[in-house]
Amino acid sequence: MAPLQLGVLLAAAGSLTALVLEFRGAKAFGTRRLFAPPAGDAVAGARYAFTKGMAPQAKESVRMNPLSYLAGVLYHGGVFAAFALLGLRLGNFHRPKALAALALVGALGGFALFGKRLLKAHLRGLSSPDDFVSNILATAFATLAGAVTLRQGLESAWLMVAIALLVYMPIGKIRHCVFFFSTRYHSGAFFGRRGVFPPATNRPERG
Amino acid sequence: MPEFDELEARLAALTEADFACGLEVFRGKLTAADASYLNTCVHCGLCAESCHYFRMDPELENIPAAKLKKIAMVFKREYTTVGRFAPGLVGAKAMDTDMARAWVDAVFGRCSLCGRCSMNCTVGIALPRLFRAARAALGAMGLVPSDLQATVDTALQHGNNMAISKTDWVETVQWIEEELQLETGDPEARLPLDRQGAKILFTVNPREPKFFPLSLQASAKVFWAAKEDWTLTADNGWDLTNYGLFNCNDQEAGALTQNLVDAMVRLGCETLVIGECGHGYASARWEGPEWLQQEYPFKVKSILELMDEYLREGRIKVDPAKNPKPVTLHDPCNLVRHGGICEAQRRVLQASAAHFIEMTPNREHNFCCGGGGGQLAMGRYKGRRLQSGGMKAQQIRDTAAEVVVTPCHNCVDQLMELNKEYKLKVQIKTVAEVVADALVS
Amino acid sequence: MSILEFNGKQLELNEEGFLVNPSIWTEELALVLARQEESLDQLSEDHWAVIRFIRAHFLENQAAPMVRSICKSTGIPLKRIYELFASGPAKGACKLAGLPKPDGCV
Repeated sequence: MAPLQLGVLLAAAGSLTALVLEFRGAKAFGTRRLFAPPAGDAVAGARYAFTKGMAPQAKESVRMNPLSYLAGVLYHGGVFAAFALLGLRLGNFHRPKALAALALVGALGGFALFGKRLLKAHLRGLSSPDDFVSNILATAFATLAGAVTLRQGLESAWLMVAIALLVYMPIGKIRHCVFFFSTRYHSGAFFGRRGVFPPATNRPERG
Repeated sequence: MPEFDELEARLAALTEADFACGLEVFRGKLTAADASYLNTCVHCGLCAESCHYFRMDPELENIPAAKLKKIAMVFKREYTTVGRFAPGLVGAKAMDTDMARAWVDAVFGRCSLCGRCSMNCTVGIALPRLFRAARAALGAMGLVPSDLQATVDTALQHGNNMAISKTDWVETVQWIEEELQLETGDPEARLPLDRQGAKILFTVNPREPKFFPLSLQASAKVFWAAKEDWTLTADNGWDLTNYGLFNCNDQEAGALTQNLVDAMVRLGCETLVIGECGHGYASARWEGPEWLQQEYPFKVKSILELMDEYLREGRIKVDPAKNPKPVTLHDPCNLVRHGGICEAQRRVLQASAAHFIEMTPNREHNFCCGGGGGQLAMGRYKGRRLQSGGMKAQQIRDTAAEVVVTPCHNCVDQLMELNKEYKLKVQIKTVAEVVADALVS
Repeated sequence: MSILEFNGKQLELNEEGFLVNPSIWTEELALVLARQEESLDQLSEDHWAVIRFIRAHFLENQAAPMVRSICKSTGIPLKRIYELFASGPAKGACKLAGLPKPDGCV
């Protein structure tokens, strides 16, 4: 195996280990036994949080920022596609051009969000250097994944960026790739237990 | 500004030991869920418009994520490896005087703990839990705004948050009983006090006996019409409020909850019924058992659920024509978004008012009136409170309703101020007041 | 914090419009507060009855009276109190009587 490919595998293993350790560290804060009797179902609440609770009709923030939402969805799709391409490359499998296109479109979303973060004063004020570094690495990774698949060359650059991204994942905010799931579970379960999620069906004039 | 100076004086006097103490309390509040939340925010900023503070004053400091970031900074510095070794990269910072000041401003000065941001967070963070952890830490550092703390202290000392004496309370109950007898023409209409073994112990907000007893009279009239087996208590345990939910001192909050538990045990009632109060319901129903670390030997219900049952079971009858003016409903955050009582008040109003109009948005997506989270007790932030309430004022205006109904005395007070400030020219009522007016035999 | 100009003196009001120093209250000042805080150009005998009772109760007990005592002592029915003072007994009447802001949900 070529050294860069080996590097990717090592970085992935290291990244995964670090993310698991971080996740376990957060878990070590512990859960409390709850004494108030539930009014609803925590699991149903969590299920809602991962499904309809994420949909635009449930979220004003999405409805008010449709372009950011679109860019975000594309960006995430692009990065997932890029990881799929990376896996296929390491296994020497065929890499579909559709995935490459998806990665490139996603990279466009990443560029757009980078620009938004840079240009909008509020968003800039909200940001740490990590916010920019994380975007640059993930966007570059998706861009190169698409480019390398559609045209030969640049492969070593792609793999080097992949290594950098993997190493950086547990350091910066990309750790949300793991924490997203526990966060949505916990808040969904909280509102589920209290009988707020899922909202009653057939109610008039939903806000 | 003396209050501001007073806060600055307290900040200036902070020692390393105070910071350590605050952090210990902060740490003690955090669960796995909170640690997950603090690791998840990606600073996307889409939560901005979900906050009524930001809507009315679009400053960076009013973005929920910006408030959360101040807490996450300290969390990262204290509890994450990267935060310790590369604080600049991920925005980690130690707790110090400036950070404590920033926390006070964020979690007391710009947040009503309404949780509307939780509904709109891209990654699903339930933010108020963390704001409450920060308030608790600030409390341990002696940084709770003095008027908010005074409300808690008064309740701890007097058994109710307005220092009403037992004589004054009992005389008011007897007076309202006479008024109820006059209103109903029934000399047997009662506001029972300390009736041993009654099915229901009803609790009220001290502002009712002190200044606004018509809402108590309205609740009593509904119980009278439903022939309910109920009682009030003359001793501690009649006050449903708990500002421990807002200063976030779990011990003090638990001590106030204990008053309710003691009254229930003393009288041997089956169900503790919480009058129309958002934070009182959330405190008694949801947080109380956690503060006391025990299950209650009784049930807790909101009077809204009770009125809904009365109507469903035909125990009371109402004629909506008796409330002809267009009515809208304000959803208190602690009762609806954090309390889970979403539909009962709607069914009750649909039945009792001729013309009921929903606000948009509503239910768990409703905007806070601006008076939640103890804001009404913190004079220092009055300007921001009234400004942020502009969102609610606009919502009310858009309905063109003439009556705004809300099942929360705290919201009632803020809405009364908004009514004046924004010249809304509406009437503000509780749900029981609307039902009481619609009762027919 | 705001400043109320009154008889050439500058009086401090807290953020809620309550007098910072309740002891400086006079009936003339009540009129000024009525105009500023309650948009009342003049005060009727009923207004004065309520304000004077609240003031006297405060001086004796260092606290606002129960609305029951206000009604019983002045003979004014409860519903009339809310008509007299649009902001209610606490933020209306007590403020005009120069009391500090009461604790609680008011």
